[in-house]
Amino acid sequence: MAVQGVMWVEKYRPRTLGDMVGQENVLGSLLAFVKKPADMPHLLFTGSPGIGKTTAAVCLSRSILGDSWRDNTLELNASDERGIGMVRERIKKFSKFVGIGDIPFKVIILDEADEMTADAQTALRRIIEDAAAYCRFIIIANNISKIIAPIQSRCAVFRFTSVPKECVTERLAEIAKSEKAKFVSEGIDTIYEYSNGDLRHAINTMQAAAALDGGINKANAKKAAGITKSSAVDEILKLALAGKVAQARDSVIELLRVYGMSGADILRNLNMAVNRASYDNAIDIVRIISEYDYRILVGASPEIQLSAMLYELGALGSK
Amino acid sequence: MMWSESYRPKSIGEMVGNEKVRAELATWLATWKKGTKPALIVGPPGTGKTTMATLLASQFGYSVVGINASDVRSKSRLNEILEPVMGNAGLAGPALIFVDEADGIHGRSDYGGAGALSLILKQATVPVILAANSDASDKMRAIVKASTVFRFGKVPPRLLGVYLKEILGRQGVTIGPGTIINIISESRGDIRAMFNLAQSFAHGFSPEVARTEGYKTPEEAITAFFGAGSRDEARRALESMRGDIREKISGIYSSIASAKTLDLRRAAKMMRAVSDADMLHGRIMRTQQWRLLRYLDALLASAFEPKLGIPYSKFSVSWPLLNRIRWDGNAIKAFAESVGPHLHASRSEFAVLHMPYILACIKLGAAEIDVEDEHADIIKKESERIK
Repeated sequence: MAVQGVMWVEKYRPRTLGDMVGQENVLGSLLAFVKKPADMPHLLFTGSPGIGKTTAAVCLSRSILGDSWRDNTLELNASDERGIGMVRERIKKFSKFVGIGDIPFKVIILDEADEMTADAQTALRRIIEDAAAYCRFIIIANNISKIIAPIQSRCAVFRFTSVPKECVTERLAEIAKSEKAKFVSEGIDTIYEYSNGDLRHAINTMQAAAALDGGINKANAKKAAGITKSSAVDEILKLALAGKVAQARDSVIELLRVYGMSGADILRNLNMAVNRASYDNAIDIVRIISEYDYRILVGASPEIQLSAMLYELGALGSK
Repeated sequence: MMWSESYRPKSIGEMVGNEKVRAELATWLATWKKGTKPALIVGPPGTGKTTMATLLASQFGYSVVGINASDVRSKSRLNEILEPVMGNAGLAGPALIFVDEADGIHGRSDYGGAGALSLILKQATVPVILAANSDASDKMRAIVKASTVFRFGKVPPRLLGVYLKEILGRQGVTIGPGTIINIISESRGDIRAMFNLAQSFAHGFSPEVARTEGYKTPEEAITAFFGAGSRDEARRALESMRGDIREKISGIYSSIASAKTLDLRRAAKMMRAVSDADMLHGRIMRTQQWRLLRYLDALLASAFEPKLGIPYSKFSVSWPLLNRIRWDGNAIKAFAESVGPHLHASRSEFAVLHMPYILACIKLGAAEIDVEDEHADIIKKESERIK
């Protein structure tokens, strides 16, 4: 079977805006665009990972464009594209012709736009203008502060908020029921705690836990939550603080270069790992992390900066 | 006053080196008539291209209208300079157009300027001399085609020596013979560089003689860096390195990372210096403020600690990890590219967040998915890594 039919995260992805959980404020405005598409400007969705930005964009596109939505929607992920030139080419090709069928415009979903450099975003601004005759953009970013002002000003900005716990656990229980999986509410609560509000992660965790002996209980949830590669970051932090810097560094480089995790993502997870654990010198640790996060942000090499950070964490631990 | 300016030759006869080409250029101007191709002087810096052009003009009674690469910003600016001279002789005698740094003009994104320049070459009603360090680039092709090329070579050491001694004599300065040899060999056939070096020595400075051209491979330079006796010596080792600046940073980084016996706190301090240099590099690339480059070696030199005997290492990770990056990394990328879009996920998001769960479910027998055969190996390999 195709992967999208097997993985619950895709099988149960909402198909309409009405199916989504949380985001009441945002959804109201988006539904208005569905009623009157002509009024829809370019949109910018921001908010933390796994709370429904991409899903909302796809739902919106499907609702407005109807049956032909797939042909008239271009999904691009900025973190995958090799440079702004590629983005320009793909958008140019896609936006050259009026859409097929009775549709108000075509939709271009540009995910992870905050991964683009300021220069690339400046070029994007022009691309948006050129394509605007036939297309509407939905630009998605975790971090709006990394989107340059001219692009923000060309879009209506929607801030997605984290989904409340009850909404998440309720949705998880629904999925578990319809999959006829064995579950206890304590298991689902544990999944929520480990997910940091990321629904994709929560649903993946639940599917793996359900496959384990005993179904979705606390122990299995814990085990399953650790499957994600980002959980390696907890171990990396422990290793570094214990002075095992070489080992920690190998793991970081594996995440960066084998799994393609971004430096920013590693640091975000590292910061969460510090918050989860209770270190006496947590403030010193966070200070070090923040320093290197900044360095990567101004254009330094993630591998060198993360390595230097690990050495510094190791030196901190050896005091 | 700088010697390189005050001793700029007053006549062609006073010049040093390139005798034959100078004579050819003189013939070119002496026989110039409307329709003669412009002259393009190509040669390394400091061999007398600019001096030759200006002296030639004045000896043949032309007044020079100079254009520098920085003037060629736009077509209208160029026309403003050139229009008055393209017609008749001015008060100061007929004009000669001299375009310096011609290889720098095309490099700018000013198409108008480049277009106007080729127009001058084709339609000039007065003699045109261009000077450039190199004619090898694609951008120079049109100019080369439209002109007669005169090549200046480096001035040979023997001539430099004769010239230098004469100038020192006129200045009443004595410099030891060893230093003179140093100056000549360091200046590499560049008269201007030789003057500048000699003048610094004469005034009691002892400038760093190593110049940017460098003469060490990354391995030699970084070995010299860690083997240096002082931070200053270490910095000089860096300055002498040939090649990409990125290689300096990554060479020192990978050597420290690969060093076996290194006290953690000391290593952290050294890494911090590499991190500083790397951040500076990132800023330079981002802002294109290349003048900041001059601080890079000093920042990197802070990574120096004496007597550690750190060997040079080209790679920052072990072989097994390097292989894993190369093979598994590419296989995962291909797998993510084929499956990720079905989950609306980027490659990275797929590899970190979705793939491990898909593999876990397959492993636990809770799911079966159809994938192309090419991904079977990596699925098996990565499944084994899941606990």
